[in-house]
Parts: sequence; C-alpha cells; structure tokens
Amino acid sequence: MTAHLYPRRFAAPFAALILAFAVVWWAFPEQMPFWRSLAIVTAWGGSGLLVANLVLMVREPHIARLLGGLESMYRWHHRSGMIAYLLLLCHPLALALNGWVEAPQLAWQTLVPWAQSWPLWLGWAALVLLMFGLATTFAVRLPYRRWRAFHFALGLGVLLALAHVYALLGGADTLLLLIVVTGVALGWRLIASDLGMASHPYRVTQVVHQAGGMVEALLSPCAAPITVAPGQFVLVAFGDGQAYRGCGEYHPFTVSGIEADGGLRVGIKALGTCSQRLQSLEPEVLVRLQGPFGTFLSDSPSVPQLWIAGGVGITPFMAALRAYACIRPTTLIYLFRKETDAAFLDELTALATTDPQFELLTDASDKGLPDFPELLGKIGHITAREVSICGPIPMVEALLPLLREIGVAEESIHFEKFDFR
Amino acid sequence: MRKLFIISTVVFWLAVAGFRLADFCITTIPVTAVSPVVEPAVKGYLLAEVAGHARQNDCWMAIEGSVYDITTYLPDHPSEPELILPWCGKEATQAWRTKNKGRTHTSRANQLLENYRIGVLR
Repeated sequence: MTAHLYPRRFAAPFAALILAFAVVWWAFPEQMPFWRSLAIVTAWGGSGLLVANLVLMVREPHIARLLGGLESMYRWHHRSGMIAYLLLLCHPLALALNGWVEAPQLAWQTLVPWAQSWPLWLGWAALVLLMFGLATTFAVRLPYRRWRAFHFALGLGVLLALAHVYALLGGADTLLLLIVVTGVALGWRLIASDLGMASHPYRVTQVVHQAGGMVEALLSPCAAPITVAPGQFVLVAFGDGQAYRGCGEYHPFTVSGIEADGGLRVGIKALGTCSQRLQSLEPEVLVRLQGPFGTFLSDSPSVPQLWIAGGVGITPFMAALRAYACIRPTTLIYLFRKETDAAFLDELTALATTDPQFELLTDASDKGLPDFPELLGKIGHITAREVSICGPIPMVEALLPLLREIGVAEESIHFEKFDFR
Repeated sequence: MRKLFIISTVVFWLAVAGFRLADFCITTIPVTAVSPVVEPAVKGYLLAEVAGHARQNDCWMAIEGSVYDITTYLPDHPSEPELILPWCGKEATQAWRTKNKGRTHTSRANQLLENYRIGVLR
C-alpha cells in the first residue's frame, strides 16, 4: 500500500526476473528448430515467473522488507502472473507451429489432447486452470470470499504445470528446485498466513465509535507484542464474540495508535461486507494479527512536512501524531465529505492548539474532489516540503500531477492508496 | 491488465481453432505414423556391424552398451538433423549424456529410447 522511492523499489521485479532468466538460461535450447526453441523458452520462462509469482504472495514481514514491501510484492505478483500466462499461452502454439513447418496436420495433432499422453494432459489442465483462475481474478464484482476461493485455482494450476514438466523431463535439478520453492511458498501462504499459524494473538479491549461510520478498536497483545511504527499496517482476522460473529478472514488495517504496552489501535471504516460487520465489534473478541507491513512515514523528517489525508486515510497520520510531537513544521490537510463524517477531528483540533509545529487544515467537499489548486496554494514553501498522501485512489491520482506541476520533487512525494485485492 | 487477459485468451483460442480448421481443410497427410521397430533385445552386435548403419535412412547407434535402430525416430527428434546424423553408426553414449550444456537426456527420453532397442553391444 505504500509507494514511494526507496532503495528496494525494484527488489520484487528483480527477484522475479532473475528467477525467470536463470531458468531460461539453464534450459536454453541449442541447435533446435526456431519454433521448438521458442516453445522451450516460453515454457521455462513462464514456469520461472509462475514460481516467482508464488514467492511474491508470501505474507511475511521479513520477506516483505527484503522485497520492497507488500504493496510492491503484490503489484509484481499480479504482473509476473500475467506475463507468465502470456508466455505459457505461446508455448503450445509454438509447438503447433513447429509441427506446422513439417506438415499442417501435425500442428493440430500436437495440440489436441486426445492424441497425446497424460503428461501433456497435465499441461492442458494447468493452462485451463490458469485461464479460469485469472478470469475469476479479473471478475471485480465477485464477492471477496468467493473471489479468494477461486484464486486458489491459480495455485493448483501452477502445481499442475510443474507436474507436467516433471512428467516430461523427470527430476532435473532446476525443476526440483522450482518444485521445492513452490511448495514452500504455497505452504507458507496457506498454513502460516491463511490458517494463521504465524499470526500473533491479540484481544479487542476497547471499541470506540468515531464519526463517519468508523470504529476504532484497541487490540491488546495476549503474548509478546509486535513492534509497529506509525504509518504501518497490519493484517487482522477478527474472531467471534458473545453477540458478534467475525469474518475470520484477514484484512489490512492501518494502525491509528500505538500504546505503550504494545496495544494497537486500528480504524475500521465500513467499506465492504466484512468491515460493515465489524462496525458491531465488541470487546473480548480474539483476533489474529500478522505484520507489521509498509514503510509509509518511515523516514525521519528532515524538512517540513505536508500530509494530505482523505477520509479513512487519516489513520496513519493519527498514529504519528499520537506517537510523538512534530519535530518539523507539519501541515495536515484533512479532506472529508462533511464535518460529521470526519473521524478524530476533535482530537486533531486539540493537537493543533497544543503542538506549535502542527497545523491543521480541513476541507469538507460533499460533491466530488475538492479544489486542490486552491488548497495547495495555502501551503507556504510547498516545494521545500516532503509530501505524504493517504486516501482514496481518485484523490491520490488527482494530487500527483498537480504536485509535480507545482514543482515538488518526485522523491519528496510519498503516497498510500487503498487497493489490496 | 484485464483487457490484456481477455485479448490474449481470445487470440489463443482463435489460433487453436485455426489449427483445427487447417487440419480439417487440408486432406493430404504427408506424415504416416510409423511404429518403432521392436525386436527381442537379446541379439549381440559388434561396433563394426553398427557402423554399417550410418545413414539417415538406416541409423543405428550404440548407447551405454545397447544398440538402437532409431531410423524411424529420426524425423521426430527435436533437434536439427545435422546434430544427430553424425552419430549414426557410432558409439554415441557421450553424445547421449551431454545433449545440451553437458546435461544428459531426460528420463522420458530414456523411456522412449527403449522402444528402439534391438540388441546389445558385444
């Protein structure tokens, strides 16, 4: 969810490309006809990227830090999966064209499953599963739970693809390595992340109803707390309470406060089915928590700050303001639909009166986006500031070109969006 | 990315349908299915006898102590003919073991090769 320039920005794509190129280099054909060579290269390139794709969906804080953050990993999880799919579509077609060169009928004989043996059926099954899994992935109107279940078809597709290669080639070292990496990545994701074996036990100890249909839950650790910095987010699965029935699935929540005893506050806005249900959350509900993830607001400010928050995007800034007094002049522009919808407004107003370094600007815009040029015009020495933005995608996308136009350096702009499917 | 998925998937199935159509429309079948020669693998051959079968239309090879008649398989071999033909009539174990980047053939190729075994090297 964090996107800004920092040294590991290219770690995820680099890791995926290295794996794919290494596998292609290992299998690169020599003295073979063009179409057959292409079929081999696309098959191995696609397989390498599929395995990288699985590594990039592992939700583990250390790996996420190594690979440039969960947001970057997820972005390249999507991209590597798509490129792998394109390569794997080319694989049977290239084999067919290899047959075509000899005789046109051979092309169809190469493709048609009933003329082949079971190792090739595995290949077709893998491709069809990938096709089905991707079709459901792009079905944006599918309810999240069903979408997630169908997404597992992609994991099965990868396993069948590797089984296809194994049945054809046997236990070559490189293939065995790919199978091991796939097994570890899938196993970690399913057992440690989705089933929660690597999660931390917390308990809801307080639920505060904020303005604008948001609840803020205080999660207190049942065991050793995790170390979280302002701006980071955690993945939380809420269990059942006496009257409350949890969704049980993990959703990302940006931390809005960090307590001295390790307790974490998370702001929950009713944006989907699960977060709607969470509005009736009650104390004593057990939660499983993974993380922390993200690097938003992680740099120690060396210049004046401009923070721009839209709606629930106020949460990371709340966490920072609650954690420490501003050490540099900091202006927060808080955008909301109407004042009664603005969570934490009273607390922010109080902070602005007590912290001389902190300035609060608010804007209520009931219809569409606010007048950003006018708002930014109120900020003194804007090009000398670090700008951090957190809010809905249309808001971020409207602000970015404007800030560049004003002359804010690219490396001074940090933003966080809410798109995590 | 959604558009890319839809377009690539449609193009893929159109291409598959095109190959099917070509198969349907083109009636001449230049390639005939050939059954591999399988004989009882008890006969022994001298390397000199193997050397007498060193042509494209009569290709024997000695590999790891066995003798194979791969004449009928040659058109199906994935690599270019220039790569494999020089080994006809010869002891080709080294070539078998160092196919590509010094690596041996796959286990599936091993299984396939057995279909063409005609005896052992004496």
